[in-house]
This record gives sequence, C-alpha cells and structure tokens, in this order.
Amino acid sequence: MYVLLKKFSDVEMLKILWYNVENTEEVNTVAAYSELIKNFEKIRNYMREFYIYGFKSRDEYDRKSARSYDDEKRRMESWLGDYMNFVRTPDGKNVFISIDSRVSKHNPFYRALKAKSFTDRDITLHFILFDILSSSDISLTLPEIIAGTEKYLSRFECQMEFDESTVRKKLKEYASLGIIILEKDGKKARYRRAEEVELPDITDLLNFYSEVLPCGVIGSFLLDKQEESESNFTFKHHYMTSAIDSNVLCALFLAMREKRIITAYNLSRHAEEATKVRLIPLRILISVQNGRQHLLAYQPEYNTIKTFRVDYLSEVTLEEVSPRFDELRQELHDMEPMMWGVTAKKKLHGEHNIQNVEFTIKIGDDEEYIIRRLEREKRVGQVIKVDDNTYRFVAKVYDTSEMIPWIRTFICRITNLEFSNKNFENQFKSDVEEMYRIYGIEEVEV
Amino acid sequence: MIFNEIYSAYYNAVAKIIAKVLEGKCDDRELGKIVARYAFGESVITLLPSLKSEKWKLITKDMKTPIKKKPTMPLTDIQKMWLKAVLEDPRIKLFDVQIPALSDVEPLFTPEDYRVYDKYSDGDPVEDEEYIKHFRTILCAIKNGRNVKIEMTSRKGKEIYVRCKPICIEYSEKDDKFRVITTGCPFVKTINVARITKCNLYSGDDVREVETVDESYETLTLKVRDERNALERCMLHFAHFEKRAERVGEDYLVHIKFNKDDEPEMVIRVLSFGPMVEAVAPQDFREKIIDKLKKQKICGL
Repeated sequence: MYVLLKKFSDVEMLKILWYNVENTEEVNTVAAYSELIKNFEKIRNYMREFYIYGFKSRDEYDRKSARSYDDEKRRMESWLGDYMNFVRTPDGKNVFISIDSRVSKHNPFYRALKAKSFTDRDITLHFILFDILSSSDISLTLPEIIAGTEKYLSRFECQMEFDESTVRKKLKEYASLGIIILEKDGKKARYRRAEEVELPDITDLLNFYSEVLPCGVIGSFLLDKQEESESNFTFKHHYMTSAIDSNVLCALFLAMREKRIITAYNLSRHAEEATKVRLIPLRILISVQNGRQHLLAYQPEYNTIKTFRVDYLSEVTLEEVSPRFDELRQELHDMEPMMWGVTAKKKLHGEHNIQNVEFTIKIGDDEEYIIRRLEREKRVGQVIKVDDNTYRFVAKVYDTSEMIPWIRTFICRITNLEFSNKNFENQFKSDVEEMYRIYGIEEVEV
Repeated sequence: MIFNEIYSAYYNAVAKIIAKVLEGKCDDRELGKIVARYAFGESVITLLPSLKSEKWKLITKDMKTPIKKKPTMPLTDIQKMWLKAVLEDPRIKLFDVQIPALSDVEPLFTPEDYRVYDKYSDGDPVEDEEYIKHFRTILCAIKNGRNVKIEMTSRKGKEIYVRCKPICIEYSEKDDKFRVITTGCPFVKTINVARITKCNLYSGDDVREVETVDESYETLTLKVRDERNALERCMLHFAHFEKRAERVGEDYLVHIKFNKDDEPEMVIRVLSFGPMVEAVAPQDFREKIIDKLKKQKICGL
C-alpha cells in the first residue's frame, strides 16, 4: 500500500483514506506496523548508517532481523520523504539519506524526534486534561478531574474509562515536565496548568537558533506552535546529524547544570557491545567542521578526564551531585590552551605528554590572505613572521595528530616541518610522498 | 525527556484538527491537508481514521468534539530552559527580543557547558551597534519584500554602492558569518553583512528584476581508502552536501554535489585528508590538487 500511496495525488490519497475509515479492519491490519516508535535508540543507528555511509545493502544490516530493517527503512521514508534515496548495485539496493544543508531550511532529522508512539488513552487523556484545566486559574482535585473526564467521554458510544491511578500518573508525569503544577491544599492535592509564558514574535529567532544551537530540536518544537511562515535563514557548512543525539545531549546538559554524576552506555569504536560507564560530565565540545559532538568527562575509574563521542553514548541516567565538579571543570579549563581538538591531557610514563608542533610556510607578495587564514583558523599557538614572505607557526598541544589535517591544507607552501613526536612528523612526510605517487607527480621543473 | 509524545507530530496535528472542528470546519479535504502538513508520509492511514472511528475519543462520528477550547499547552521546563539559553547567546542582539517571564529560569546550557572549538576566530561583530542595525534592516526588508540600498567595502577595499532585493540571510557556523543572498543587482549576489557600511530600505525606482541564473554545481568524485578511520571522517566531513557513496573493491567512491563557487575551499578540504582521499573527477579539480602538490614538491620537506 505504501508504494502505491507515493504515486497518488492528494485527492486520490484522500479516497484511500476514506476507504480505510469505512473499512476499520483494514485500518487495524495496517496498524500492525506503525510509523511511530517507542524507543528512539533502535532507529538512531539506522539513521546514522543511512546518512553518513549509505553504501550498505539490506543484507549487511545483520545486527537486526530483515523485518526490522524493512520497518525502520519504511519509517524513515515516511518521516524524511524525498531525502531518502536508493541506488541499485550488484550487491542489492542501497538506501541512503542525502541532504544539501544549504537548501534545507530546517533540519529534517528533527522529524524523527517527533515520532514518539503513544496509546489511545494517552492522547485522549492529554487533550481532555488540558481542556478541563484550560486556564492556570483553574485548580482541581483528582476526583474533580476524573469526574470531568467522564463528562467528556460520555459523548462517545464505546466507553473509555480512566481510573484514579492512571490520571494521577499522567498528572505527575506532566508536573515533572513543568506543564502541570501540583499544589497542596491541606491534605488534598490540587492540579492546575502552568502559567503561560507571554512570548513576543520569536519566529525569526526560532528559525535561526533551532538550527545553530545545541538541542535545536527544542526550538523546532516551539516553532511547531507558531503561525506558519517561511524561514528567512539558510545555512552553509551545516551539520545535521547531531539532531539524532539530542536526547543524550540534553541529559548531559541537565547533569552539568546540576553538577551530577551520570551513568551511561558507551560504545567504543573497538568494542562490539556498549559498556556501562560512570562519569562526571564537564563540557561538550562541538565541531562545525565535521559535526561531531564530544563529551569531556571525568571518569573516576581511571582518575582522568576523558573524551567520549556523544553519538556513542546512550541511556544516560542522572545520579548524585558530585562535590568535585567545580574543581574538575577548572582542571579541564586549564588544559584547553593545549587542546587543538578534543583530546585532553594524557600521561605518558607518569608525565604529561605535551608535544611541540612547528611548521614554516612561504607566501607570495600578494598572498597576505594566507596569513589571515593562519590567524583565523588556528585554535592555539602563534604565528611568527620570519620575513615578508616567510611565516612560522608554533604550538604546544596534547595531540599532534589532531592538527595534521589542518596543516595539510597548507600543502603547496610548507618549507619546513618539525614535530617533537617524530612518528607523526615522519608520517606526515611519507603521506606527502604517497600523495605525489597517487597523483603521478615525479620530477617537477623549478 | 525530549523524545516525548507531547512534542509529537501526531499531537500537533490532532490539536490543529480539533481547532478546525471547533471552528466548524470539518471538511475532509481540509483535515487531510492538516495531516499531510503536520504529520508524516504515512500518517494519512492512521491519524484521521483513529479520530473518526472514535478510537481516540476526541471527535465523535458526526464530527463534533467535546473539547471546548482550542487546544493549547504551556511551555515545558525544558523549552523554557532552552529559550533562556538562546537569550544568553551573543547573537540574540540581532533579533531585538526580550522575554521578561523567563528572568527566573535557569538556562539549559551556558558557554561554560559547551564550546564550538573549530569555528574561525574572525567571526562577525554581532554585538556592534551598526552591524545590528544593518542586520535588522535587511531582515525587515526580506520579511516585507522591500528593496535596500547598501554601501559596502569590497574584499579589495573598494567602496561599492548596491541597490538590491535581499532574499534570505545565510549563516555559516564554521566562519561565524552572516551573508545576504540578493537579487536585482547584476554584479553582486552575496554580501557579507560585516562589509556593509550603510544600509537603508529603498523606496525609489524599483530594483530591476534580474533573471536568476541557476547556480553552477559540479559533482566531485573522491576515492577513499579506509585507513586510519578515513572513511568515517570523510563521510562526516562532507555530510552536509548532497552525496552518494559506493563500495568499489577495497575502496569507496564518494560523489559529492558542490557549488562551483566553493571550489577553492573544496580543494583544501580534500587535501586535508592526505593520501587516504584522492580526487578522481572532475579532471580540472584533480589538476588543482596536482598543481598544489607540484608546488609543494618544489618547497621540499
């Protein structure tokens, strides 16, 4: 049915819809598969695989059953529509997600975070509760609310009943989200809706910040409530994958707000199974050159500050408050002048391993812009003028390897290169030799 | 936390449908459009039937609803905290927004909690009064379909005067810069907001309609050798482009659609991967890499 639907016009789709309404059995059959999901973790990996790689065939997704693959793929097609593509190869059909971020004004991955499943009772109770508690001036007890719901439900042929425990549980859940206020009136608990926040027109603000700030999906939730209007912003160099890690990231921010320890599952690159880790989260490092997000956290087990990829973390649970949070964050702060990327201080034979990096470039008489590039792109270190056409960059860092991709961007003008870590220096030089070979460069006439 | 049904597309669509029914507009086509607009591709199969069959007891079979008021929901704590974090961002001054009701709310994060560690350090002066004025004038022009008169300093230091129609504002997170995409001026299409020295709404003779020239795109093909995690690094690095990957023997071919104007940037991005990533096509792109390598060979190492 799905394949057919994609080919139909709006009018034809509505005809199919009404066929479904009149044939409830059909509805139920279709409902065995749902485009909504209970657990986001399950689909997170598929989305990453389809978006980042996209060259695997169905058979290679062996971690889950073939049925699971088909269902997850179908869900993504439903959420992401035209962004889903496929190509036929001798190995089979490869599905991939392709998005030009300069064209798409809103991150399409946010739609996945709006696909949480619910029960018939959840949705019914939600709208009735907020209609009963339609203003923050209305404050009711649990029996009064239950009596209210019964009036609403009496309008329907087939009854649905909500017992005290169900309604109390839902109100408690909403109180934890901050949308319901629980007040004590003597021994009685009274419930009212939270005060409305008076918002000015924030559409432009939301269109911009929902794409550039961490946990931007929250801005997208707010945009959903605004009057529809076209965004006036587009984005260049815009990495979207982090959207699918929003739940984890939000938990990490809340932990840092409250200076709490967390437990989480961490999937290391070299391990098959995720392992449980206990951490004190200290800071999130975000890259706008590859879209990765890293957590820098103290790991008591190893008595060290370590780096964790946010996309490898799952099931974050907030634990007790850590009295060491401020001290550890200061320690991290002190490390930052020697961090080019995300690698924090490492000890080598008990000593802090600080590495010297130095390279010299030559520029032409009209190539001042290269020096401006050095200045604006360097994150640590210094640019030293040797003469009008020669400049040297020097830095002390924890991990030379993090700088190498950047240094390579100056290929065509590097006249000297010295790293205290000779392995990396030799590798850099042999890589350049390898590039000469790949591109067929032999002797060059000066 | 964030993954909660109260934020879901279905709840949003149902809220809109109830509001329509309350207005007495329960035309099938109208409701179908709401589902198509606010929910997903396949929602049409389940959402309206669930309401019409009274599975969800919110709309009766005769298309009435016991709900009395247009559905609304207060902001959740996490929404307030995120908005508060927005209000503490330096770029907020561009938007002239104050929300006094959030004065007692803790932000979800502060600059102490996260750092973008690889953006360039010469970002736009977003807190400068003149810059803010220019930004707001342009945004106002876009929203109202107005033209603007802009005076600016070119990259080469030349004073330029432009009359144009701004279409949208493009932001680069890597450069931390805003650019105005314009039409109506045959020789300027993109203007860096930071280069503007004067900007006013323009009510004089209408700006000439200039036929939009399609942007020129090219497809770059890279051969990736999966050593030192190069495949993942490469796919992530180029993730924001329209792209396709395929496996060829031990290696991978990645086809990336890019704007021809960005070619110099693309060349150095490819170089940054060293020998693990080879530009295979187009040939003139490959030649540019070869040219840089030849120059490097002359420099020695």
